[in-house]
Amino acid sequence: MTEYEKQFSNESISCAHVDNVLSFQFLGNHIDYAALDAIDIGVTLAQADPDVRAIAFEITADGDDPASHSPIPQRFAHRVPKGSHGHGPIVEQTTILALRECTKPLIAYMRGEVNGVAIDVAAVCDLRVANESMTMCDTRILQGRAANTGISYLLPKLIGQSQAMRILLLGERLTAAEAHRIHFVHEIVADTDFDQQMNDFSNRIACMATRAWQIHKMQVLGQQHLDFESAMIHSLGIRQTHVINDRVEGIKAWRERRDPEFSGT
Amino acid sequence: MSDEPLIIKDDSGVRHLILNRPDKINAIDYAQHLRLMSQFDLAEEDPSVKVVALSGVGRGFCSGDDLTAAAFEGQDPYRHRKVDLEMGSGPAVLLESCRKLHHLSKPTVALMHGIALGSGYDYSLSCDFRVVTLNIRYGDPRIDRALWAAEGWSYKLPRLTNLSIVSRVAYLGEIMNGSQAIAFGLAHAIVDGEPDIRESSRTFLENLVRVSSPAYSQVKHAMLRGLDSDVERALALA
Repeated sequence: MTEYEKQFSNESISCAHVDNVLSFQFLGNHIDYAALDAIDIGVTLAQADPDVRAIAFEITADGDDPASHSPIPQRFAHRVPKGSHGHGPIVEQTTILALRECTKPLIAYMRGEVNGVAIDVAAVCDLRVANESMTMCDTRILQGRAANTGISYLLPKLIGQSQAMRILLLGERLTAAEAHRIHFVHEIVADTDFDQQMNDFSNRIACMATRAWQIHKMQVLGQQHLDFESAMIHSLGIRQTHVINDRVEGIKAWRERRDPEFSGT
Repeated sequence: MSDEPLIIKDDSGVRHLILNRPDKINAIDYAQHLRLMSQFDLAEEDPSVKVVALSGVGRGFCSGDDLTAAAFEGQDPYRHRKVDLEMGSGPAVLLESCRKLHHLSKPTVALMHGIALGSGYDYSLSCDFRVVTLNIRYGDPRIDRALWAAEGWSYKLPRLTNLSIVSRVAYLGEIMNGSQAIAFGLAHAIVDGEPDIRESSRTFLENLVRVSSPAYSQVKHAMLRGLDSDVERALALA
């Protein structure tokens, strides 16, 4: 059992670290604080770990459970205001932010029913792969609850405002095919092949030039709120300060007419 | 056909800038970037030019950067901006060339057939319109070599499409055909490319020539400024 598996597997989530891929699988039908907290801390640790080159999430969940009163993790206790307002989405937002700040490839595997906050986790990933029978629905609006975890920021940028409104404001249930048509899901896999495909796909991503992936991502996300001229300076700055090993290997392999062997550094 | 590496041809208000290094599928070297940049300036200043169209001769539009090119030995206005990298000439010249194309006040169109990769793709993102053939191989596979450009794709691509498409095109380095380029919202039209793409895009180009130049320029700049503004500021600048 690896350190990640020991530290971040609990009754709500299981964690595995195999071949440079760190994987999380939600357990049970709801996503709770124990699962979100494990992801937050695990992903933050993985961001600085060269042995993790891709992070995958297997997501089947009916969102969070509004009737659940699971205790907020102790490390957030000082942020809970006094009074009857409740603690709000502190844990959810912290986890989404940790994922957003992680520049390593993030892959969401969406299986079966994916609802509510489970969509948020998928949305903050770079790639979303669904099985054929997957359906997704942001049930929170149907329950009279506001999705206040960051999805209202993420979704319009992922698929455009028109499609985001269908999901967030109408609570429309989308099939895998429809989610693919509007570009939320990048790939659909047959139900029977899903387990094998998850494994193969994650390994394929982990063998890519993942350091270059991170730099691509730093540029794209870093320039979301920059004006054109500032974005140019940002790109130049990143280009000139990131001479990475994989870049040297990529050119060398091209000149030697062979496939590159990337180290992720 | 001329043996100049960049052919300049005027046709009914369209200034065609035609990449002409067919033996390298129009791979772009440093000198070619400088030629293009200079032509963008000339096209901007010439009142007879209504539309600027980029295209290539031979098997494809552009195969990307010319990684086999010898060091540039001519007069280099960007020499002072080169950095001491282990390889390559640095990003300044491509960035500046794409910046000029991005800000050109006239309609700009990339007419792409065959192959449009790497820096050819970069130039196309700086154009207002992209016309492709159905069987084109279009995209940015530089991530397969752990390379990346710094000409502004990371600003432009999410605004031309959305972040979900960025994952496919930029992070995975997926190569698009014509239908995918349309589905991703990157291409505006598919033409058959015969007898050559300039001829088969004639109707598309003629429609642009007919548009009022001052109105086009005003709307284009308002749109570009609007991308970086909130609604109140955008209205004040319009």
